[in-house]
Amino acid sequence: MIGAALAIARVKLVLEIRRREVIFAMLLFIAATIVIVHFALSGDTGAGNRAAAGMLWAAIVFTAVLGLLRTFAAEHEGGVLDALLLAPIDRAAIWLGTALAQFGFLVVIELVAVPVWWALFFQGDGPSVGTVVLALLLADIGIALVGTLSAALALGARTRDVLLPVLVLPLLIPVILGGVTATYGAFGEDVGGLRPLGFLALYDLVFIALAWGTSEHLLGD
Amino acid sequence: MQPPEITLVECSKRFGDRLALRKATLSIAAGETVVLLGPNGAGKSTLLRLVAGLLRPTAGSARIGDVEAIAAPKAVRAGIAYAGHAPQLYRGLTARENLDLHLRLHTTTADTGALLERVGLGDRADERIDGFSRGMLQRLALARATAHAPVLLLLDEPASGLDADGRALLDDTLRAAIGTRTQVVASHDHELAARLGVREVRLDNGGIA
Repeated sequence: MIGAALAIARVKLVLEIRRREVIFAMLLFIAATIVIVHFALSGDTGAGNRAAAGMLWAAIVFTAVLGLLRTFAAEHEGGVLDALLLAPIDRAAIWLGTALAQFGFLVVIELVAVPVWWALFFQGDGPSVGTVVLALLLADIGIALVGTLSAALALGARTRDVLLPVLVLPLLIPVILGGVTATYGAFGEDVGGLRPLGFLALYDLVFIALAWGTSEHLLGD
Repeated sequence: MQPPEITLVECSKRFGDRLALRKATLSIAAGETVVLLGPNGAGKSTLLRLVAGLLRPTAGSARIGDVEAIAAPKAVRAGIAYAGHAPQLYRGLTARENLDLHLRLHTTTADTGALLERVGLGDRADERIDGFSRGMLQRLALARATAHAPVLLLLDEPASGLDADGRALLDDTLRAAIGTRTQVVASHDHELAARLGVREVRLDNGGIA
């Protein structure tokens, strides 16, 4: 199953490298959001670290939704989903491969966006890098899992572009809470040690189990 | 792997208010080739997708051998090939990459160069298929559908967009497997069954005529 999932993920990454349909739009959106909020808050000295942390996580989640709207686009346009469903593979492999690709997209945009955020909001006294990176990676796993699951749910709907954000955003609220709290901790605030990171890891595990159990039914008729 | 028998019993499929297939009962012997004929909207594509296990019957059953098509396990799915209206190919990949992915998912190996050569696409193997014509996509879809040596081949209007050479290739592919592979072909070609010397089944308005 892992081999099939990796093959699907690889195809989606190759398609993205060739077509640049998803990552480019996501990069543009998150960079614009960070820059606009930076200028919007620049006169407010009271906003501080908490506003910067909240802004980063909100931007990541909305950018992720933008990418998720194209989750199964390549499969939909060529009828490829039928071929994948008929292949002698676990249907969880389709979901897992797609989620892996989504995870890759998120990591790529964060590699660009987070340094921009850092440069604009902090002058050498930013949060602990390790904690922020770990929180981002755990959150990316959760966003990719939940987003792909929601995209599969919305796949058959005529109004899936509207339905997907409605489905996915409430499910991602725990990711925002965990991520923001972990970032507060990275600034030195007392947030209960590693508790926010543990919360994000638990969220990931719950949705791995949920997606694993439901993908056979979600992706069929 | 042996070619399977196909059995539809009182099989119906409804999409919203529209009954696409109405109590269809049909038996196709193991290794038999059947041509489905009928006007647009007669239910040919729906019947094929039910047999492929891509649709769940609203009522009745569609079986491949002893198993319900919708619940076919991996071992059964490994022997099925279905080529529908869409080519089921990634547009941003090359012809070879599409076949490689298909073979990888079927955990089998084959000479993709030879497969593409056979359908007349040997010299276009490394081109992205988003520049392919409808006929070239059909040829590639045929190569994909037969690449893993299926024992059940389901083709939905496979001749659409094909030139004369392509149609001859399609006829040869079908003829070569008569008796060794169960084949169901939806077509508007009223001569196809006669050319192949096989049974034809007519559908009209969702029912078998």
